[in-house]
Order: sequence, then C-alpha cells, then structure tokens
Amino acid sequence: MATEEFEGEVGPHGGGLTGTISDWVNDHIRTVLLGPSLVALFLVFIYPAVMLLWLSLQNTRGFGETFEPAYNYGRIFGDPTFWNAVENTLVYSFGSLVVSVGAGLIVALALNKLVNQRLRDAYSTLILISWAVPLSIVGVTWQWMFNGELGVVNKVLIDLGVLDAGYSWLSNSVSAMIVVILADSWSRIPFATIVLLAGLQSIPQDMYDAAKTDGATTWQTFRHVTLPYLRPSFFVAGLITWMFAFRAFAIPFSTTGGGPGGATETLAIYIHRFGIQLLDYGFASAVSVFLVAVTLLVATGYVYFILARMQEIEV
Amino acid sequence: MAGADFTVEKYRRRQRMWDAVESRYVVHLVLFAAVFFTISPLVWQLITSFKTSQGVLALTYLPLDPTIAAYERALIDRGFWRAVVNSVIIASVSTAIVMVLGTPAGYVFSRFRFPFDNAVFVFVLFTRLFPPIGLVTPYYRIMTTFGLLNTKTGIVIANVYLWLPLVIYIMRNFFITIPQSLDEAARVDGCTKIQAFWHVVFPVVLPGFAAGTILTFLYSWREFLFAFTVSTDLTSMTIPVATFLFVGDAGIDWAAMAAASIVSVIPSALVVVFFQRYIVVGMTGGMKG
Repeated sequence: MATEEFEGEVGPHGGGLTGTISDWVNDHIRTVLLGPSLVALFLVFIYPAVMLLWLSLQNTRGFGETFEPAYNYGRIFGDPTFWNAVENTLVYSFGSLVVSVGAGLIVALALNKLVNQRLRDAYSTLILISWAVPLSIVGVTWQWMFNGELGVVNKVLIDLGVLDAGYSWLSNSVSAMIVVILADSWSRIPFATIVLLAGLQSIPQDMYDAAKTDGATTWQTFRHVTLPYLRPSFFVAGLITWMFAFRAFAIPFSTTGGGPGGATETLAIYIHRFGIQLLDYGFASAVSVFLVAVTLLVATGYVYFILARMQEIEV
Repeated sequence: MAGADFTVEKYRRRQRMWDAVESRYVVHLVLFAAVFFTISPLVWQLITSFKTSQGVLALTYLPLDPTIAAYERALIDRGFWRAVVNSVIIASVSTAIVMVLGTPAGYVFSRFRFPFDNAVFVFVLFTRLFPPIGLVTPYYRIMTTFGLLNTKTGIVIANVYLWLPLVIYIMRNFFITIPQSLDEAARVDGCTKIQAFWHVVFPVVLPGFAAGTILTFLYSWREFLFAFTVSTDLTSMTIPVATFLFVGDAGIDWAAMAAASIVSVIPSALVVVFFQRYIVVGMTGGMKG
C-alpha cells in the first residue's frame, strides 16, 4: 500500500510553504472553488437588488430623493398606462407561448421522424439560426419586413393579389401586436423545438412497439404514449418561454418601440420608459418589484404544483 | 360480424390517413416550411444589404445593381467597425470570467455537502429566474455613481450577473453525470482535492465546458438590454445596440441597417453551424434536475 498519503502532519507535497498553501487549499476546497462565484454574485446581484428595494421606497420625482415608502407603490395601480402594459404583457407572453410551443411541437415531431442523423442535424442547424440572432436585430428585421411602404411582406401580398395597396402593419394596434408576437416566437421556436425533441427522444421505443402490437392507431399512440411522456418537456418549454416573454424588452422595443400609442408597450418597456428615459428611478423600481414578484410567484408555484404532480405521473 | 368488419374498415381508413400525415413528404414539407420561416427574414436582410438606396426604394426582390456600398457606409462611415471590436472584446472577456468562476462553483454543488448548501444553490437558481429588467434601473444608478457608463467594464459586469448563475447550473448538471468514484480514485492515487478536480474530473467534463462556453459567448454577444442601458456611444457600444440605433435615425438607411444586421448575425450563425451539437447539449443540459 502506498504510504506517501499518510505521512502524518506533513501534506501531500511535503513540508515548506507550498505544502502549507496546498494543505490550506485542500482543507478549504469548497471555499476556494465556490467562494469567488458567491462574492461575484453578491456584488453583481445582491447589491443592485437591495438598491432596487431601497429605490422603490424613495420619491425620486423632481430633485433629490425623499424617503416615502408608500409613494411609488401607491402610484402604480392608479396609472392607466400601467394596466395597459400589464394587459399587453399578458397577451404578448401567452401569444408567444402558444405559437412557440405549438410550432416547436410540430417541428420536433417532424425532426423525430427523420431517420437520417445527418439530415436531422442539417435541419436543426438551419432552424437554430434564428435563436442565435441578437434580439434587437430580430426587432429591426421584422420592422423592416413589415414596413408600410417598403416592406417585403406587403410586396409579396400585393404580388399574390391578397392586398391592393400596402398596409401599415405597425400602425394598427392589433396587427402590431401580432407582428411582435410572431417576431418573438421566431426567436423562441428553436428552444421549444430542442426541448421537445429531447423529450421525444427519451421515450422508450418499447412503448411504441407495445402500442403497435395492441393495434393502436397513430392518433391513439400519440395521445396515450407520446403526449404523457412529453408532459415534463412541455412544462419546461412552456415555463421558460412564458417567463422570458413576460419580461421581454428587446423585441417589442426594437420592433415598435412600444407603439402605436402604447399598444405593444410591455411591462419591461414601461419600466425602461420611467427608469431610464424619464429618470423616475423610484417609480420604475416599484414596478420592477411588482414584475419580479409576479414572475417568481408564478415560477415557484408552477415548479411546486406541477413538478409535484409530474412525479406521480412518471411513477 | 358486419359491425366488426365496419370497424376494421374504419380503422384502416383512419390509419391510411395518418400514414399520409406521417409520410416522408409531409415531414419534409413541415421542415421546409420551418426552415423557410427561419431563414427568409435573414435572406431579406442579406438581399437588402446589397442594394443601393435607390434599389431599396424601387422595392424589387433582387438587387438591380448589387453593391457592397452599404457595408462601407455602415462599417466605416458610421464607425460600426468599432462596435464589432467592442462586441468581440466584451463577449470574450465576459465568457472567460463567467466560465472561470462558474465551473469550479458547479463542481462544488455537484460534489460537496456543506452548511446551507441547498439554500445557496436555490439562491443561485433564484438569481437566474430573477427578471433582469428589474435590475436595469439600479444598474444604471450604480454605473453612473462609479463612472462606468459608456465603458466596456460596465457591460462585462452586467454579463457576469446575467450568465454566471446559468453557467453554475449547467456545469453542476454536467459534473453530476460524472461518477464521484472518479474523484475518489484520484484521491487514492495521491491527488489533492484540487488536483483531482483539475487533472482528473475537468478533462472528462470538457464537452460540457465547451457547451457552456459557446452558450455564454452567444448570449453575451446578443445581449441588448444592459448594453443598451449602459452604453450610448461608440467607445463601448456592442453590435446589437449599434444596429438598433440605425433605426432611430430620421431617414433610415435601410441598406446600411441590413448590412449591419448581417455583420452581427454572421459570427453567431457560424457558431451555430459549427457547434450545433454543443448548443443543443447546453440548452438541454441546463434543464436537467
């Protein structure tokens, strides 16, 4: 048996200074490896987060700051454009959730049907590209495509005989919302596809063979084998898509700037308008606290209730 | 008897319909449609970027006299090349910091028990779930106070906040897949704990490390919210911000905007093409319990 490891007081590197340092590292391995990250997270997260709470209690309208704990929170619900932003955020996030996960499911099912691995990789690469496009560029691209006078969408629709004259998509509140939801989904479909495809591939082939032996139709197999197995992936794809769309800033901001007339102003744009453009830090912080609370409540509730139930399903 | 025949007939008819739905042709049709939907906005930007300003107004599908003048206007006249340099620097430095800090942290969460270990891990997850828009206002204040507005450092700090928790989580999940007996064997062979991590476990987790690096780089490359808030001039502006600011102009130079977009998409598109597998692994690896 090797005896070097058990040399008593002396560390594995022998005595001396290096030995002492090395011993210290060995004894405090968790601190050495985890400590820097925790210090960094403290500086870049806790400090701003505490400041957020503090700012939300300040009246920052006009000059200076005065401590008025109820001031900003009192203002939130009285502001009509706040409710408009809440409504837009809900429409936007659920619209994006339905389109992304729905389209993601169809694409994932199609990809899963491909036997040829190379072909599948080629398709997934092409579909993944939209995910890599910076979100502000997604916005300017869709703004350009749906431009009223020079947009390619109008051009195609006129050439196909669907439209007689150009339509300004981004000046109508309903069509502007549809365009931003489509743009948002465009960048989220790849994620939903990948998650659902991973879920599809984890379904044991035996289940399909058994269903086939039992004479199940394709629909029955899909309904009773694929969907139940896919449920965890649905929950993950759905929660993540919703959560990121709920806080969406870059795409609606760079596509419509929140317009026309606030029709696509999400909560994130609303916060940015007050905090950065109007420099009303206190109010922006109070709205941020509201948005953070809603997101975390939904996420936590979802994880607790749904994941708890999901374990029963899996057993 | 007749009833049974009818059911079989109905079953066969239904199955034929589903066979058609599941046929190769339909599968490829769906995938072609998906690829068309993904690619066409980018193709339209590419086409526009080769047009002259008159060509943009003429609204033809293809550029009449293709030119790279728009790239020249965007990159040189508008100083957009500086945004490219800034983006490369900011994304690389952010990725390096985040991976160096996050990888060992993920290892600790995968291996060691310590007081409040679950609470600390939940805190990391909480940081990740926390909506970044909530911290934009305090960050703006802090950056103003410390003179970090319009600096690359300011954006790097924001990137550390955004991606460090993600990397800790992803790396933890990769380390969990490696049996702890590997560390123990290394210890028996005389490695210190840090040597076991660095010389034995880390090499095995390299594919996961690559996935984390690529994902962090892409995320830092495309980050908009903080970069837009923290920087407003070309000394620190990143590509997503610079491209967006093209649109703010009174008379938008659409061809130059398209050229700028293409320049910003090319690096990330190349990363996707060459590292598709790693990205998929990273995306799904970030979700395992």
